[in-house]
Amino acid sequence: MFLSRIVLRDLDSIDSPTSMASSKKMVTRDVWERKLRDVKIRKEDMNRLVMNFLVTEGYVDAADKFRVESGTQPDIDLATITDRMEVKRAVQSGNVQEAIEKINDLNPTILDTNPQLYFHLQQQKLIELIRAGKINEALEFAQEELAPRGEENQAFLEEIEKTVALLVFEDVKNCPYGELLDVSQRLKTASEVNAAILTSQSHEKDPKLPSLLKMLIWTQNQLDEKAAYPRINNFSTAALEDPSI
Amino acid sequence: MVANQEQEVDTASPAATAVDPMRLASRWRSPEEWNEVAKELEAEPAPSELNTVNSSGLFAVVSTDKMSVRYLGTNHHGHDVGVVQADRPAPTHRAVYYFEMRVKNAGEKGQTSIGFTCEGFKMRRQPGWESNSCGYHGDDGYLYRGHGKGESFGPKFTSGDIIGAGINYVSQEFFFTKNGSPVGGFPKDIKGPLYPTIAVHSQDEEVTVNFGKEQFCFDIEDYILKEKMRQQSASDKLYLQPDISHWVVRSYLLHYGYQDTLNSFDMASETDPPANHQNGFGEPPEMYGISHRKILRQLIMSGDIDSTFKRLGEWYPQVIKDEKSVICFLLHSQRFIEYIRAEECEDAVKYARANLASFLTHKAFDGAHGNFWPFRFSMPFEIVALLAYDKPAETCIGYLLDSPQREFVADAVNATVLSTNPNMKDPESCLYSCLEKLLRQLTVCSFERRAFNNDQGDTFLLHKEMQKCERSRRS
Repeated sequence: MFLSRIVLRDLDSIDSPTSMASSKKMVTRDVWERKLRDVKIRKEDMNRLVMNFLVTEGYVDAADKFRVESGTQPDIDLATITDRMEVKRAVQSGNVQEAIEKINDLNPTILDTNPQLYFHLQQQKLIELIRAGKINEALEFAQEELAPRGEENQAFLEEIEKTVALLVFEDVKNCPYGELLDVSQRLKTASEVNAAILTSQSHEKDPKLPSLLKMLIWTQNQLDEKAAYPRINNFSTAALEDPSI
Repeated sequence: MVANQEQEVDTASPAATAVDPMRLASRWRSPEEWNEVAKELEAEPAPSELNTVNSSGLFAVVSTDKMSVRYLGTNHHGHDVGVVQADRPAPTHRAVYYFEMRVKNAGEKGQTSIGFTCEGFKMRRQPGWESNSCGYHGDDGYLYRGHGKGESFGPKFTSGDIIGAGINYVSQEFFFTKNGSPVGGFPKDIKGPLYPTIAVHSQDEEVTVNFGKEQFCFDIEDYILKEKMRQQSASDKLYLQPDISHWVVRSYLLHYGYQDTLNSFDMASETDPPANHQNGFGEPPEMYGISHRKILRQLIMSGDIDSTFKRLGEWYPQVIKDEKSVICFLLHSQRFIEYIRAEECEDAVKYARANLASFLTHKAFDGAHGNFWPFRFSMPFEIVALLAYDKPAETCIGYLLDSPQREFVADAVNATVLSTNPNMKDPESCLYSCLEKLLRQLTVCSFERRAFNNDQGDTFLLHKEMQKCERSRRS
């Protein structure tokens, strides 16, 4: 009843004549602000959006506090976040073996059904061995565990070759694949693990909020082609900026 | 400054104050009502049956259930087609419209067809043969769009086949399907309302339509999902300031005074990598009175309105100084509601006489006044009406007894307290968090965009989005 009224009013404003010489329709700040006021947004839905962010990003304590403070039920068992974050942290700090064991404790089918993820974890393990200077152990691991996997998959083989190349360089900074030793590689593997666990819990692997913010950028860009209207350019203040004429 | 203004203005007019907490009242609805609102927005009339009035009755007969059409007699030329349109044009407020037909009998020549036609279409011609129409024909598998000469398109179809026709409003294309598989699509170059249309054109030909009452042969849900994902992948490629989501969530917690959550959030952010959130963004959001606001929210959410009044009197006396202000009305109403919740009706009556009666006669609260009044009657009357029922929770105003009602009052108090901050420059920021402002902007932009797109396509509604989330998890 109220929402449908918004639609009609929107149409009115577009049909109304504008003073612009350009082909773009002009929507003044007054008109726009009235439209903004008329939008109906439910507090509970905003709370759920925030809860979804806390849960997906793994803010387990904050999610628990938010449950109490806002009365919003998390869309997943909070205990599973703790487990997931432990696995993530293990990868981030280089304890790959520990991470693999924890994943299997959590749900053994995750690695079975994700050969790529399992390979990336093993690759990360090799990287960590090389980083620690355990050359013999690294070689042994590469030959026994990784090489057979390269035979089954060409992409894996290339990755193995790049990683093993790290061994050849005494000063890895000069190695063309030195970025494998970077923290960002750990973070990449960790977020892959995070996504796989969320998916196994039939939860979206990404929080909803960033994609809505991107949708706002996209929709504003699309609307720019048709109209000049007050935009929000700075998302951190969410301040309306007057349309440029 | 804002606080002073608030005391000076004529309080007979609640909408005139700098910060009108009643603007939050649109949230004052039960979840059921919200679902209704969302549904109503979707509820664009859609085709449900065949139009028996505007059909070429000479050559075809529509079944009594208005779902089938059969050719009468024998055909002799191109102007004795039995064409039938749906009772309504295809709805446009969605990403995709789709319907199907089953060829019950391909008859003598198998000249059944399916497509879309405009209003005022010549009812003796095949869809596609005339301008402003398109059609997929069974006898040659050709696509016709706007004239008598067809183009090679897909397979022929005959008895037993299920043929679908759709409009993709996102990509602005028509598309057809056969027995659950896509046949092909092509640009939609026809404007104006389009009617789902079927035709029969030789002896014994008979087709049955399905406007969605039965399950479609083609997996339309999957098609829509893929279409939306394509759109989303376009927007996912856009650049977003790193950590802006983190910032938006943090300012939300600050705005509403969710202080415990905020502290945990900040603590976790210090130890986890993706949280270098201080640089590049505007001023940090308002810490103003956060501990007080937290306690006030807790009190209201637990139903302890007496203590709320007491605390407000200590911390922000200006907020409740004016006995006739909106915020006082909301708090008194809530106190009354809490008596009803506790089934203490006698106390409720006593309290209403002492504290609510004056609002019932107060001009400012007589329903017709405010722009933001989502109520059938004026609000004071609606609240007092709780007394009339033996089991008020089961009535149409039962939502007043639910916790969203407490939350509304808590949010209103929060907004009013924020407005007492001498450094608050923008009164809008007392009412709306950064997150809410962004969501409002997104909603308006998406509706505007649809209006420019000949009123075609889907729009953003947070409620719909969150419901979808829940549904996908349940399935």
